[in-house]
Amino acid sequence: MYARRAAQLLQELSSCEEGQLPPYNGDKFDQVIRECEEHSRQFQSLIRDKDIETKNEDHYGSFIHHLSIIRNKRCLMAYMYKRAEVIQSYRWNVGRVLPREIQDKLNFSEQEYFKDYCGVIDSYMKDLDLDLTVDMVPPKDPYIRVRVLSEIGEVSLGDHAVSLTKDSFHFLRRTDAETFISQGLMEEFVE
Amino acid sequence: MPGYYDISDILMEDEAVSVVFHVGANGVGLLDPGTETNSVEKGAKIDLPFWLAHELCRRRAVSITIPSCFGQKMKKDVQADAACVDLGTRYPYFYEFGCKLFPLVGDKSIGPFLRHTFANRYKEMLSKSHTASLNAIPKFVLRLSKEEYQLFEAARSSMVEFKKWRVRDLGLMKTTIVGHKRKTDLH
Repeated sequence: MYARRAAQLLQELSSCEEGQLPPYNGDKFDQVIRECEEHSRQFQSLIRDKDIETKNEDHYGSFIHHLSIIRNKRCLMAYMYKRAEVIQSYRWNVGRVLPREIQDKLNFSEQEYFKDYCGVIDSYMKDLDLDLTVDMVPPKDPYIRVRVLSEIGEVSLGDHAVSLTKDSFHFLRRTDAETFISQGLMEEFVE
Repeated sequence: MPGYYDISDILMEDEAVSVVFHVGANGVGLLDPGTETNSVEKGAKIDLPFWLAHELCRRRAVSITIPSCFGQKMKKDVQADAACVDLGTRYPYFYEFGCKLFPLVGDKSIGPFLRHTFANRYKEMLSKSHTASLNAIPKFVLRLSKEEYQLFEAARSSMVEFKKWRVRDLGLMKTTIVGHKRKTDLH
């Protein structure tokens, strides 16, 4: 009670590394909401039939319950907000498809949020006719040497097809290679 | 000012402070572990989280006692050697907490005390953060408060960037450094 559990939720979130998320703690979240309902019940019983202006013991008691509800709300809002920020960053750092380990950490509405966010970004990029998610770091060279880590197969890049078999080396345009590198299927080959 | 969604501000406000109630409060017996009725008596001394104490103090329902982190013993420790005081484990939100507590409590010495502590610790922290090894976490980092740790990280990452810049590949040929054998004539 009195927002201790909500603070634990936030502790869990802040102890994770920057850009990472712990699994969505639905149980604790629901417990905090039940605590708010309890505070609300206590509040109702204290202000029933009372004149709101008189500052007696009931007034201060109900005020404390009111503050607890506001505090719980702030904790839960911050929890959702921080997770939403990290989910947005996944689109830019990881890509359109999330690996299994990350998907397991999100609850259903967060997965929907990710899909909707990708949709918004895609329609914006379509309007601009520009892919904003490549070249996040300004490149020195338009071409890049890559080594293929897992079997991808035949891919057509530009005007010719390339066969991307495992452990093969290629000299590709940076924009083409970036999507594969961010999914972990290729790595940049540095001499 | 920290925002509504700022997680470290929310966690900082969870710190416990000891308060004395000027009024009674019904229906909140859980706050006081020693009470039998479901209420807090006037004059009771209880530990409350700062977010609650702050609001009640503003409405003059309680008064906040200065916590030990700004008390006499702490002041003596800082006088002796500020850099050795362990803020990381005992009071990670030392500075932020002090800044928020200062207007609520009548003690005017907290402000200068915070500044004095920070200034003394800063010198040592600055030199150590620029020379610290990048792989191991030096022991003194565990003694830093959250705010000091952010400064430490900033210094460390700027050193990393500097080192990367120094050895960057300019596409020039690297020369081998030929050592000069100086013949010192001692005779």
